[in-house]
Amino acid sequence: MSIRSEFATFAGKSSYWFLHTFMNGGSSLPGKITTAIDPAILKHLGQNYDIIVVTGTNGKTLTTALTVQVLKQKYPNVVTNPSGSNMEQGLVTTFLKAKNPKTNRPLAVLEVDEANVIKLTKYVKPIAFVFTNIFRDQMDRYGEIYTTYNKIIDGVKLAPEATIIANGDAPIFNSVDLPNPKIYYGFKNHDDKDNFKAEPNTDGVLCPVCQNILHYHYISYANLGNYFCEHCGFKRPELTHELTKLGALTPNSSDFTVDGQDLSIGIGGIYNIYNALAAYSVGRFLDVDPKDIAKAFTANERVFGRQELIDIDGKETTLVLVKNPVGLNQVIDTISKEKDDFSLICLLNANYADGIDTSWIWDGEFERFTKMPIKKFITGGERYKDITFRFKVAGVDENIHEVQPNLEKVVEEIPTLPTQKVYILATYTAMLQLRKDFAEKGYIKGGME
Amino acid sequence: MTKEYTLHIAHLYGDLMNTYGDLGNILVLKYYGKKMGINVESQVVSLDEDFKSDDYDIAVFGGGQDFEQSIVSKDFQTKKDEIKKFIDSDGCLLAICGGYQLLGKYYIDAEGNKIPGIGVLDHYTEQQHDNRFIGDIKIKNKETGEVYHGFENHQGVTYTGNGERPLGDVEQGYGNNGTDQAEGAIFKNVYCTYFHGPILARNNIIAKHILIKALKRRYPNDDFSAQEKIDVSESY
Ligand SMILES: [Zn+2]
Repeated sequence: MSIRSEFATFAGKSSYWFLHTFMNGGSSLPGKITTAIDPAILKHLGQNYDIIVVTGTNGKTLTTALTVQVLKQKYPNVVTNPSGSNMEQGLVTTFLKAKNPKTNRPLAVLEVDEANVIKLTKYVKPIAFVFTNIFRDQMDRYGEIYTTYNKIIDGVKLAPEATIIANGDAPIFNSVDLPNPKIYYGFKNHDDKDNFKAEPNTDGVLCPVCQNILHYHYISYANLGNYFCEHCGFKRPELTHELTKLGALTPNSSDFTVDGQDLSIGIGGIYNIYNALAAYSVGRFLDVDPKDIAKAFTANERVFGRQELIDIDGKETTLVLVKNPVGLNQVIDTISKEKDDFSLICLLNANYADGIDTSWIWDGEFERFTKMPIKKFITGGERYKDITFRFKVAGVDENIHEVQPNLEKVVEEIPTLPTQKVYILATYTAMLQLRKDFAEKGYIKGGME
Repeated sequence: MTKEYTLHIAHLYGDLMNTYGDLGNILVLKYYGKKMGINVESQVVSLDEDFKSDDYDIAVFGGGQDFEQSIVSKDFQTKKDEIKKFIDSDGCLLAICGGYQLLGKYYIDAEGNKIPGIGVLDHYTEQQHDNRFIGDIKIKNKETGEVYHGFENHQGVTYTGNGERPLGDVEQGYGNNGTDQAEGAIFKNVYCTYFHGPILARNNIIAKHILIKALKRRYPNDDFSAQEKIDVSESY
């Protein structure tokens, strides 16, 4: 270890200790101090770990959390980073905070932002990369899906021996020839008889080899599924880990079978099943027994924290964050599994954290709500005009649709809604405002987590 | 409104040029169509598929990612003659962003490649370096006095040419190129724009204009005064 790294680590650790002790915090500031002294610090900090990098646009956080749960079944020391601390400095901080390992080579499961993969692989060589998916997120971030994937690939090229554990149902993960060993996971709960194309407003449906439009035998959602090209023979790779059966699916639970093992997770949504499939595949890669993986999935319900159930004067209120069309459509699909009558509230803001362009709501399948047992609709948020018109065009019955731009009034109205169950979809800053109001009224303790 | 009218929309490359909720334009045309007693049908016309001018009343052409647009640029050349025929015969065409660019002579993509359009309109699109026009935009149509709201998000800078007049003069935002105060282009019944939002969701009046024009073209002997009275209150 160089004296520079030694000093950088000391400075970083001290600042973490200082912040932790006196400021009751310490997320990425120690990382900032350390990397300012020695940018190569990751090499020194990460060299003793077997690192698994989890990246992709959606699902990183839950995949990382589930993977940690799975690996803990067999390995005592697993380091991980808190959700959101997925850039270079957050990674440095994660290693700084880690206790001195008891075992020789502890594992580190790291959620890494797509553009930050290369900042890590410049200094350390992970044993595996997990690719969840690539969807267009808020348009002004990295832009196109191909640009995003290329950023990941730039980082992967520095670690050609690491195993790639990728979503086999995503055509983009089969578009660049890489020397790395590969493991693919995906859905095999169908035969190959059907032949159709994705819905018109689906991203990423061009064959990467011949640029014709891909066909599918099966689509799980968006452009994910059993794809093939009629022109050049490009097709989904052989799957290493196959989901062979979808069992009972509700908004709060999913049963499914992978490689003959029955699995269950305490959260709804096909996208979450993919996250579990990814965690399962990492577990198998590191020899965790399938039965232990099943156990790990049900061990700690808190990892599924996103969809939160809040008691609003007796109303079972589920609060869901929405931020892009693919995520939104998955939320709509998950809610469609609700069998009881419910009320639906949709709050749209367009601040920077929400995405400043609201066009994306037009790629949301709001039409599906008209076929669900919904007794009352409320639209609101700072951009209530946009979301209200979207609901009108979707065909929502005007007689049960209320427009309520005032957020406090929305909250006051929840206890008077005609149903026991209430679903609230909100963009990020609308969610923050709502939670603040919930906290003031004593429905929740406060904060974002 | 006892008679049932039907209008056909060609959703040009709807499976590839669909970047910012542009599908919403078709949903809005169907929504107001229903209020006007029009059955609005839409069909995607994509790679290797024929676009026949006579089959359609309205064409909608959205924007895409650079990769998709470069593929569409090649295929679009094969549809040039029929698109020209459609425009010359007063077909209504709404072209957004990349669709707008591809109707013109050429555009330069983010990597500096010159991608040919089909040149049925006289505009062309250059590239600005390390800058993108992003944000809310407001324009005024000089001819009608109508004010339109949208969201622009483009790196290309477009310069209009012969026979084209702007969709509106910029009151807030950047518009075609940030210098000449023009946004979009109108040529016969072709509306070109950089507006997302989508444009017809924010500016219902344009959806109404398109539907009325398409009706009059398809059913030249009928009276549409009832349809023209339909209220299109602004959603913005
Ligand atoms: Zn192909």
